[in-house]
Amino acid sequence: MPAQLTISLNEILFIFTRAGFGVNAPIGISEDFARSNMWLAENGFDPSMCSVAALDSLDEGKSSLVIERSDGGLSGPSSQYLSALQASVSVLDIIKGEQKSELTITNVDSPLLVVAALGANQVEGWKVCWCDETGANFQVSFMVNDQWTVISDSSSAIELSKGATMQVSLLDDIGLALKGNTKRFDSGTEKAKILQTGVAVREHWDAIYAYFSRCLVKSTAESRASGAGAGLVDTD
Amino acid sequence: MPFSAKLDEAMMRRPEQVMRLDRMGSSFPTRLSFMRALIRRMSKEQWKFEKLRQDVDENGFGVSVYAAHTPERTYSLVAFTQDIPADMRTDRVIAEVWDATFNLFDGVPTQGDIDYLAKNTPKQEGGRFRPSELSLARANKSLRLFEYIVSSLADGKQPDVDLVASVGYIMRTTAVYGSGKFGCADRAKIADRKECKVSFHMELLAVYLIRWFTIDLVETIAKQRGGSKAAILEPNIRQFIGVGNSTGLGMAPFLLKHPVLIHNWVTAKETALARVRSLETPIQGSLEAFTESIKQVVQHLKEWRVADEIQSARIEKLEAEVGQLTHWCGDEENLIKPYPWNGIYQFAEDNFSLECQEMVVSLVIEPHGALVDDLADAMFSTTVPQFEAGMSLSKLKSIVKDYYAWATSIDFSLHESQYHFWYYSEDKLEPRFGSKGVDDGVDQEMPLAIGRDADDLNEQLKTASNDITVGEFALQYPQFRHIIRRIQNTALRPYAEVQDNLLGEKMRPLDLLRFKLAFFGASKFDPKSDLWTRISMYQGAPMPDQLSYADHDDWAFPIRPKQSV
Repeated sequence: MPAQLTISLNEILFIFTRAGFGVNAPIGISEDFARSNMWLAENGFDPSMCSVAALDSLDEGKSSLVIERSDGGLSGPSSQYLSALQASVSVLDIIKGEQKSELTITNVDSPLLVVAALGANQVEGWKVCWCDETGANFQVSFMVNDQWTVISDSSSAIELSKGATMQVSLLDDIGLALKGNTKRFDSGTEKAKILQTGVAVREHWDAIYAYFSRCLVKSTAESRASGAGAGLVDTD
Repeated sequence: MPFSAKLDEAMMRRPEQVMRLDRMGSSFPTRLSFMRALIRRMSKEQWKFEKLRQDVDENGFGVSVYAAHTPERTYSLVAFTQDIPADMRTDRVIAEVWDATFNLFDGVPTQGDIDYLAKNTPKQEGGRFRPSELSLARANKSLRLFEYIVSSLADGKQPDVDLVASVGYIMRTTAVYGSGKFGCADRAKIADRKECKVSFHMELLAVYLIRWFTIDLVETIAKQRGGSKAAILEPNIRQFIGVGNSTGLGMAPFLLKHPVLIHNWVTAKETALARVRSLETPIQGSLEAFTESIKQVVQHLKEWRVADEIQSARIEKLEAEVGQLTHWCGDEENLIKPYPWNGIYQFAEDNFSLECQEMVVSLVIEPHGALVDDLADAMFSTTVPQFEAGMSLSKLKSIVKDYYAWATSIDFSLHESQYHFWYYSEDKLEPRFGSKGVDDGVDQEMPLAIGRDADDLNEQLKTASNDITVGEFALQYPQFRHIIRRIQNTALRPYAEVQDNLLGEKMRPLDLLRFKLAFFGASKFDPKSDLWTRISMYQGAPMPDQLSYADHDDWAFPIRPKQSV
């Protein structure tokens, strides 16, 4: 596998769904995880960068899919990170299904995946703020018409942000905005570019593919001969 | 249009009737099928076709480029041909070499593009492609026909029509990929183009150009071999030659993973049938056209010969039933009543096999282009099913009860109810159909066990309170998220679901394949087992130089041409 590979959005959907399943996430959650990764790719990110951390963390038992809900929000077991795969779908279910205006999610392993889930579901008028375990602060705001911004007081990549307690709230409930570098995105414009170029994935792709490969079944002489019905030589 | 929406709705066949495997496995193409609709578009928009390049040696090995110019843009088929060992010629996904490999290129390729593709296209799944490539395909020669036609033409003779008809194609595609496979363009790149909007139109444009390429290739080799005495194929033989295809299990997961799309396809077809059945009086000339088409079908069936015993018996029965239908239609009393098309359909449904019923569906829709052709434009989808967390659990229970009785009535504790499973092999990701207790891989089963998962959910729902939301339920039971999303979608799109157990011992994946291939417009289904089939595509369709002919759309149920003397 080359250091940089260009893949399609459809390949992201196919591979990441099964990569999630490869670390024992339920298939429905894995489907949403893959859609989130498509959204990241459509916005110019290498989706494997933050997702491999989330998958590694689940695979190594550092993160958990177990989630608890309390009045204030969502959390996982105290000794583990809350997996972003689970956190992202639960956040969406609550803000879309229950019309909540504010939610706290504690100790999420890969916060960008929660952001991506909101983006993939085209939420508008929401913001997500967090401080991660390195002390870096981020604020992501979703405006209308596919416009969104990231403000960060750190030079570290948002994809690598880890171990965050996140506040999800309505955008008009802003309080003081974070001071820092602002990056603006237009998802529609970014996606149009990506459709012309493909999605560049780099060194983390092999690990994603390895998780995906767990869903493949070893071929045997028998299954090779009969599993797909057709013969091995055709002479029509 | 002489139809009323209310009457149409009453005439719609119910999902529980249509979406059953045995009926799906009896499908025939209709005038809404993608190949038919694409040919109509080519003709209406006066697409131009051009051979841009043909650098092949005396055996036809080399590179060729064939272009289709639409009013707004150009698409090019880039074809590579090579010599391969006979013992490596297999139709399976696990093949490593092919006689011919192709890309459909978005635009006209530069020499740099062709150089890139020359290094990748012959490797197929082993190559990497770019958003400039819309489709990736390969084909193998028919060993019975390819060399025979070349030799005949080189000698200045036309090939024997009976032999041509017994095969039907010069080359047989074994995969036609699109929609982002192996780095090719995502569908979203082209979905807004009017010629790409309907499902699979770009893949089927590639196949249409492959058909032209195969015919041109045998004529080119014959010319090199025979010189001035070489002949070219007579137009009626050219038109009768299609492109073969071997279709295996890959199509089955696609059908199950795209429920919105399938709903839209079936809705279009069923609406077309309902519109025709709702006609109180026949449109002028339509009954005569129908009667003529039955005569053609009689000949078509005589020429549809397969080795498969089950399908042979079905064709034999179909021939007898078409004879009875001809007799029934010959009695004027049966056709002068109000709603004659409904009468014909109802007679078939009450008296004939599913195979004949579905053929009648195609036949009664056929003479009604002005009434139904607009429906072909709706055979696509941009909708991704959403998980509706705010839905009450009582509502979800009600949907399961109303739409999934077919699933909850199956006893999945029985071995025969969970006899099979679907999986991807590590061998080039080939989809395979395994048997539990026999094959490895149950733990890596593809999530296609819709009925079983719906039944499991139903059992869990029995213990859950009606007063919570689906989101709250999914928080407790995340393993049901995928099936809940699917079920919620089915309530909105009832033709989305195959209403049968896809794991059962008697389940035949072939039924799913035929259903999908009929929507493509394929004919002459030739099952080779329960898991794969050969078909013909574009048999009888106009060649590029015939698209302007008045009869360019008259190629349903093709029959072989007469041999010239």
